[in-house]
Amino acid sequence: MTAKTRARETPAPAKRPISITAVVDCVGVLATGSMSGQLYLYDTNKAGGSAGFGTEELQTKAAVGDKLLWNCLALECEAYVGIDAVVIDPEVCEPERKVYPGTDVAYWTGIVKKLPAEPVPYEIRFLVGTRAQSVPTTLSPTLTG
Amino acid sequence: MPQQLAIIVLVDVGNAIADGTLDGNTYLFDNMKLHGSDGQGTGGLVTAINGAYWADGSQASEQVLNWLPYSLGSIPPTVPRGYQSDRARQTDREALAELDALAARPAAGADTAGRLDKIRKSVGTRIKTTRRTSGRLSNEKVLDVTGEVVGDLGTGSYSYPGPIITDIYGEAVDEKIMYPAEYGSPDMVTDGWYWSATVDTSRPGSYAYTMRIQLHKLVVQDGQALWHPVNLTCTSSLRITSEPKRNAFTKAGMGYLPVPMHAPPTEGYAGTDAVTESARSTG
Repeated sequence: MTAKTRARETPAPAKRPISITAVVDCVGVLATGSMSGQLYLYDTNKAGGSAGFGTEELQTKAAVGDKLLWNCLALECEAYVGIDAVVIDPEVCEPERKVYPGTDVAYWTGIVKKLPAEPVPYEIRFLVGTRAQSVPTTLSPTLTG
Repeated sequence: MPQQLAIIVLVDVGNAIADGTLDGNTYLFDNMKLHGSDGQGTGGLVTAINGAYWADGSQASEQVLNWLPYSLGSIPPTVPRGYQSDRARQTDREALAELDALAARPAAGADTAGRLDKIRKSVGTRIKTTRRTSGRLSNEKVLDVTGEVVGDLGTGSYSYPGPIITDIYGEAVDEKIMYPAEYGSPDMVTDGWYWSATVDTSRPGSYAYTMRIQLHKLVVQDGQALWHPVNLTCTSSLRITSEPKRNAFTKAGMGYLPVPMHAPPTEGYAGTDAVTESARSTG
């Protein structure tokens, strides 16, 4: 794997992306206008050391080069929730919105570019129901190195 | 007490398969926090079921439970039904179009091998269908968590199929507190099937139940990929309370609602009189 031309043909085994899933009580958010108490965050890196599962302050353990993927689920299957933005220090990660091919169901994804020693807090803004303005997280989930 | 209550069973499939247990890898929700349920979003959910009874002690309202199993970190259940099969067909069509383009320009020389290799990757890996996996998981390819086909299974970055509840049993069922069964459904998010139960609220108490959940791990056998079923169980419980049926407006016992029996006639609106007259004649 020294020659650059060979790299494309035999890629090194990629790590499984870390999926961060937000479970949102849509009706609760619409009633209170806030994410506080209405949000449960999880990721798939429990074995790697993530913590704070089921809280609003999920601490996702990540490493430089990891692919992160954010998506969300509504607690009531009839309700709509989506992610409007993932706001994080662009030096750490630049998440962008993508859709599953052939659908308009969106997810946000980005590669961890840099991770300082201290946890990096970030904000997720949610689209809820037919509300025009997105609702930001009240407490901050973090990425930790 | 709402008549229908959904219990979401969110399973971290990858970790559950790696650990060989659902303990610590399952998160349950029933959205009844304000009605007394405990442990939302954890593996220790206690579902509060607030029943009501009539003056003679008989059950006054029905409680129906529905279970919705989801996979954490997979393609979400909100994509259209049959998405995995659609993607398999779509990528086949794309690969055929690329082959067609390659055949139209055969003089590409050394580049042909590279282009063929690219087409091979874009075709992805089709899941072998066995007798056990025919049906729901047939005609699918291995997709990654962004919905793209996976050509190289060594990367491990594929999306697991959603968990499937195959049985609900235990104390709450043995004691005839709830009567679970699997039903067919036109609901898109449950893939056409769901588990549901009616609950007897006449015997208050805490009752545990167990769900048998089938996950699928990808195995490669004789060069072919197939989803191998992994059966695991997880427990939860119901906490049933019951109180006399009461009038939600007056907070008192059951009786007439505090509204006039006959609406006063309104001038200039013929419809009101007609309705009142009709009510008198039938009453």
